[in-house]
Parts: sequence; structure tokens; C-alpha cells
Amino acid sequence: MFKFKNAWILILVIALFAFGLFGCGDDTAAPVDETPEGDAEGEFEGQVLFGIMVPITGSEAADGIDMENAALLAVQEINAAGGVLGYEIITSTGDDECDPSKATAAASKLISEEVVAVVGGYCSGATLPTLALYGDAGIPFVIGAANATSLIDENPGWTFMINSTGDAQAAKAVEWFEGLGVDTIALVDDGSAFAVDLKEQTKMQWEAAGHSVVAEDRVETGTQDFSAVVTSIMSANPDAVYWTAYQGLGALLIRQLRQDGYEGVIMVGDGSSAQELLDLAQAEGEGVYCTAPPVVDFLPAAQSFIEGYNENFPREPGAYAGLMYDATYLLVNAIERAGSFDGEAIKDALAATDGFEGITGPIGFTPQNTLNRSNFVILVGEGGRWQLAE
Amino acid sequence: MTTWEIFLQQLFNGLLVGSFYGLVAIGYSMVYGIIKLLNFAHADIYMSGAFAGLIILGFLNPYIGNQWLGIIVALLLSMILVGLLGVAIQRVAYRPMLKAPRLSILITALAVSMILYNTVLLMTQGQYKPFTTGLTHESFYIGALRMTETRLVLLIAALALMLMLHLFITRTMYGKAMRAIALDRDTCQLMGINVYKIIAITFFVGSALAAAAGIMAGVYYGTVHFFMGFLIGLKAFTAAVIGGIGIIPGAMLGGLLLGLLEAFGTQIPFIGSSWRDVFTFVFLILFLIFKPNGLLGRMESERM
Repeated sequence: MFKFKNAWILILVIALFAFGLFGCGDDTAAPVDETPEGDAEGEFEGQVLFGIMVPITGSEAADGIDMENAALLAVQEINAAGGVLGYEIITSTGDDECDPSKATAAASKLISEEVVAVVGGYCSGATLPTLALYGDAGIPFVIGAANATSLIDENPGWTFMINSTGDAQAAKAVEWFEGLGVDTIALVDDGSAFAVDLKEQTKMQWEAAGHSVVAEDRVETGTQDFSAVVTSIMSANPDAVYWTAYQGLGALLIRQLRQDGYEGVIMVGDGSSAQELLDLAQAEGEGVYCTAPPVVDFLPAAQSFIEGYNENFPREPGAYAGLMYDATYLLVNAIERAGSFDGEAIKDALAATDGFEGITGPIGFTPQNTLNRSNFVILVGEGGRWQLAE
Repeated sequence: MTTWEIFLQQLFNGLLVGSFYGLVAIGYSMVYGIIKLLNFAHADIYMSGAFAGLIILGFLNPYIGNQWLGIIVALLLSMILVGLLGVAIQRVAYRPMLKAPRLSILITALAVSMILYNTVLLMTQGQYKPFTTGLTHESFYIGALRMTETRLVLLIAALALMLMLHLFITRTMYGKAMRAIALDRDTCQLMGINVYKIIAITFFVGSALAAAAGIMAGVYYGTVHFFMGFLIGLKAFTAAVIGGIGIIPGAMLGGLLLGLLEAFGTQIPFIGSSWRDVFTFVFLILFLIFKPNGLLGRMESERM
């Protein structure tokens, strides 16, 4: 009897380990010390390691994996064209899970692997604490998506944001609402750094334009029931509702607003601009507007990128794929201009970037290392797909 | 909307979400009552139920559609399936630990929770999944109250499940045996009650109810994801404690009370919905200070 019990425990332990190993091995990209395969070995002088920091698990995994794919595609193309300064690029992915504590762990992992530079950054809240880490380690960080204005204040000088920041997005939202004849709005967020930032920016600009915010609500991450918040919004009866956070909860909010009979304008911020929002919102997603980053589907310069993406990955490129692709190319461009893999030199070259032609448009930086123009567009959900509304 | 309409609407919102809390809370309470275990895995059973329902409904769709008939069949099938999962977990992870110190079995429960949670995380790659049904969301009014068919049916179904459980506990031999084991397990064994069998039945019923709540949440909200159980698990556990843990009608009442508190917490003037949880839980702390055994708990405690 005793032996039998022991056997049970042994089986359980083995099963647990199997799970653990499977879990770890699943998502991580090519290991650092992997030697280049086959004939590539002779062509390159050596290897240079880039870090990719995005959420590839957790609630925002959809966009995170999409961004990782875009960076990997860029790396693949660059390597095929001879690499950077004669070196082959290899990558290591740090999974930030859209969680600040996981993000610092992911950043520490990348730093300990001695990456030359990092691209990524999706959730502003998770990205925020990593800026100082990369800065202290002397590693340039090109952010492909995260764009809360709070990131600007925390930037030690080593971070470069190629997505327009929250205030540019709020300006676009205000402009579009005014065009629709909206006067009263409700703002809803999930308490995350990015969503609160966009909400505050929108509120400030909306009120400065002489309109009123009649309701400000917050939903809890992880909850499914928004009925109480929806009733609260309905009782304030705004002309429009602006959701400033991410798609998982955004879809729930849209469904519950529409099912409760809300007939006004619904708009979502760029955190909800992935196709998944419309998939999850189902019929209720029709006519929903979105202030979005430059989505590759609508960019003439991005057609070859889309083809390359479709060949390599079993999905459509999402909202930030184009930006992430540009971030990777921009980094390589800066390294070539710097002529070395020294962090300081790369940083200076990045800061001096002017008119770099990315597929999402020209990239140049302000003295705060943010994009020197607004790149937001307005999308609308039609037939279950995002379409350009302008 | 007038104040009266808002009141009615929030009352109904609170009852509906409260009945979901209640269904999950019952599972916590039953298991605690019978083996004094805080079953951490219960929230993940709820989540597994939602996914089982989604998969089964997908299979049934070509044959009987994905409207009410399909949903009810999928609900029953997944209740049985997840009930059996609960029994299996109990058999593998908890039963060998029944005589071990209480903390050991608590940690085992935590481990089971992690396993379920991470399995679904890997299988879904952490993504939200749409729970597609053929239901429409046409709304109509009952007096001043805005209502949809889905909501009405779900509320009635939740209350019916609770009533059936109550009858099961109070009117059947198995229910009587459960109550007896909650009082004194060793004596029950001496009296010839098959204690392990009754514990297994308890897990079956508790898990099946959580699965039902999971599917109903999927149908109602339209999305499911791997961490959907986490928050509702916390809330349901809170509800079980408010009601007096180990006492089934207490869990139901606690769930409804918590749901109502949250709904009205959103509506407090000048505070707003971001303070809802602060309001709710401050109220709960005060409540437990004055009534530490919960709504229906008694000091000398006849559990269940």
C-alpha cells in the first residue's frame, strides 16, 4: 500500500516537471548560444544579439506575438541581405506579460544575456519600469508601440519612441468626435498606466475645446461583468463613449453597452485596435471607431511587408506589426550609421535620426526622443473588419 | 434615466452577477463544510467549465444549433464532465491528503489550481476566445426595467439550480449524509456511512455548479479566457465567508449581497465606479467585525 502511494506521487511529480519544461520551452525564441545553421556560418563575421521585449503570454499576447513576428521577419530579411556590419543578427525574447514585475524580470534577463539593443514595448505600464534598467545598462531601447506620456518623463535618454504619444492620440480623438458633432462624452479605462494616461489627456483636451465629460468610469481587470458601469454610463447619457484600454475588456464593454441599448458613438483607443476586438465583440462591434496607430493594411509602402509576413506566419499582421518592423530596421540603420555595436554610439545615432523612411512613414525624433509627428488614423468596424474611416 | 429606473436596473444587475457569485460560492462552502479545505482550484473549475461548454457547443452546433437547445445540452454535458473532473481531482490530489496536516492539503489545492490555469493558458496561448451563440440580444421592458431574454433566462436558471441544490441537501439521503459528515466525520464512518463516496459526490455537485456558472458567464458576456476564474473566485470566496462558510444557503445569500453591493457601489454620487471595490470591501470588513461568523453562521456552528 505504501509503495503504491509513493508511485502515485512520483507520477504526479514527473507530470508536473513535464508540464514545466513544456511551458518554458514553448515560446522562447532562438537560444542565445545557438550556432548559426549550415552555410550561413561562413558568410558572417560573427553574431550580434538583439533583445525583443513584448508580452507573448497573458491577456495582451495577441498583439505581443504579432510584434515579435514582425521583428523576427525584419531580422530574417536583414540577415538574408548580409546582416548588419557583416554580423548576423540573432534575437532573444523577453516576455513581459503586460505586467510591470514580469517586465523587470524580462529586462534583467535580456541585460544579463548582453543584448546590444532592445526593440519592443507594448503595455506602457509594464514598459515603464524597464526604461531605467536599460538606461543603467547602457542599452538603447526602441519602443514600437507603448506610448503613454509618462514614459517620456522616465526616459533616461536611452529610449526612443517611434509611436506617437498619448497626447497626439487624444488630439486625434477630440478632432474626430467634434467632426461627428459629439458634445458630451464618457471616458472608461481599466486603471492601467496607458489607459489612464490617454483618458487624462483626452479629458484635458476635450474640456479645453469647450465640451464636457459627463462620466468617468473604471472597470476591473479580470472581471467580465460591466453591467453596473454600463448602467452608470447610460444614466449620464453621453453622446459618445471612449474606451482607452485594451481589447479583451473593450469587447466586453462594447457588447454590454450595445445590449443594454446604448445607441451613441463608441470609440476605442489604440490598445484595442487589433482584429481580435471585432472578433470578440461580434455583431456589436459594427460601427465602432478606433484611434489607431498606422495599421499596415492601409499603408501603400507596407505591401511587401504584408506579403512577407503572410508567408512566414499563420496570421494577419496586426496593429503594431508595421511599427515593430520599422523599429528593427531603424535600429539596424542606426548601428550602420554609428559604425559599431557600442551602446553610446548607437544611442547617439538613433537620436540623430532624421527622415528615416519606414513603412509607417518618416521617422525622426524630438529632443525628448519621441516621434516628431502624429501618426494616428481613425478606423471603423465594418463587416467584422477594421476599415479606414477617413 | 430617472433615479428610480437606475435603481431598478442596478438592482437587477446586482441580482444577476450575485447569482453567478452564489453558484461559485456554493462550491467553496460545500467543500469547506465537509473536509475543511479552501479549495483554491474551484475558480479554475469555473473557468474549465466555460471552456468545456464552448468546445461542446462547438461540436453540437451542426446538429442542434447554438441557441437555447444547444446551450442547455452543452450546459448539462459540461456539468457532468467538469463534475467528473472535480471528482478526479479530489481522488488524486485531496483524498490521499485527508489525514495530513491542513496546510498540506491547502498547498495541494493551490498546485491543482496552477495546473488547471496553466494548462488552459498553454492551450489557448493566453488569448481571449469568443463564445459564439445564436442568441439575439433584443431588449424589452418590464415596467421601467430594461431586459433581454438572455438575462432573464440566466437569472431564472441560476436561481433554479440553487433551489435544486437546496432540495438535494435537505431532502435526500446523500444530502443528509453530507450534513452529518460536516458535523463529525469519524462518527459517520463508525456509523457505516461511506465517507469517501459522499466527499466525491460533494465535489461532483460543487464542480458541476461552478461549471454551470462558467458557461452561463460565457453565454452572457460572449468571451472566455484563462484567467476569467481568478476574480470571480475571490469574490465568490468572499461571498461564502459573508454567508457563513460551510452553510449553503449562506453562500447563496452572500453571493447576492455582494452582487448588489457592487452594483450600487458603482452608483454612489461623487465617488464613481473606480472606488466600487473599496466601498464593497470596506463594507465587508465592517460587516465581519460585527458578525464574524457571517450572515447565517452561529458560534457553536452546526456546519452546513
